[in-house]
Amino acid sequence: MTDLLHFEDFRAGQIFALGTHTLTPEEMIDYARDFDPQPQHLDPDAAKDLLGGLAASGWYLCALAMRMMVDGLFNRSTSLGAPGVDEVQWRRPVRAGDKVRLDGEVLDRRDSSRPERGFVRFRFSMWRAKETGEDERVMMFTCSVMFRRRASAGSA
Amino acid sequence: MWFEEIPLGNKITLGSYAFTEENIIAFARKYDPQPFHVDKDAAARSPYGGLIASGWHTSSVWMKLVIAYRHGRIAEGEEATQANFVSPGVREIRWPKPVRPGMIVTYTNEPFAKLDWPSLPQYGLLEGKNEAFDQDGTLVYSFINQVLMARRPATSGRADGNVRP
Repeated sequence: MTDLLHFEDFRAGQIFALGTHTLTPEEMIDYARDFDPQPQHLDPDAAKDLLGGLAASGWYLCALAMRMMVDGLFNRSTSLGAPGVDEVQWRRPVRAGDKVRLDGEVLDRRDSSRPERGFVRFRFSMWRAKETGEDERVMMFTCSVMFRRRASAGSA
Repeated sequence: MWFEEIPLGNKITLGSYAFTEENIIAFARKYDPQPFHVDKDAAARSPYGGLIASGWHTSSVWMKLVIAYRHGRIAEGEEATQANFVSPGVREIRWPKPVRPGMIVTYTNEPFAKLDWPSLPQYGLLEGKNEAFDQDGTLVYSFINQVLMARRPATSGRADGNVRP
């Protein structure tokens, strides 16, 4: 248990690299069939309207980011989940074959009304690797995540 | 419905969804495998005292119900004004009460603002307040969505942006 990251282990300015992932059409369509069955998310041939071709559902990108956050950070921490997300920006269409990476920057920390917990506010950014030049930010959101504090004599 | 015709301040019920142990775990295994979403025993020992749905599951169901609602309206004869819907983002997502197996959650949407979207002048940006309630009427989810809605073409010949004689 001592290996788990607790509230006290987070500091403003830390950046956690949360892995990379190359999107497949199968995973995009699998999500879209269940939750966002629009032509631009389902059908490579029908989707030539606003997004200019098959593109991932924005909510799929959130779900994918969540998976990367859990695998890369939360499952080695005392995370108790998040009560909300302040702002999600879907900045660029993301397509099959795109290689994305996720990072999470600690913005600040604050106490909880429960003394055994605290909130850490992150900005999570999904970037698309580009062959030349800087990676392109395709999605970002900010959210406050609850973590347990390290046990102390005063914790109730 | 065209952007211009959408009434503001008119709350609609998008639909309802039954959260079950099975669909909560299935979603979370794929997308959010934290112990309190995927493991009944670990969830029982957690501060939540039992299995709870991933917040992204609650969010994804909103999208599912929006699409089903639109399809239903078109099946009832409403004009299909655009083939697909795109959003630049959402904000103020709140999950104030955990969603648990057995809950039947009803989602509502209330458009409250219309904004210009200069990079795509044939569309306007519609903002809506969204809420979801369990079967006891307790708020379990809320957020503000944004969606690009096609404006009514000036003439029917300009529906695709091209002017034809």
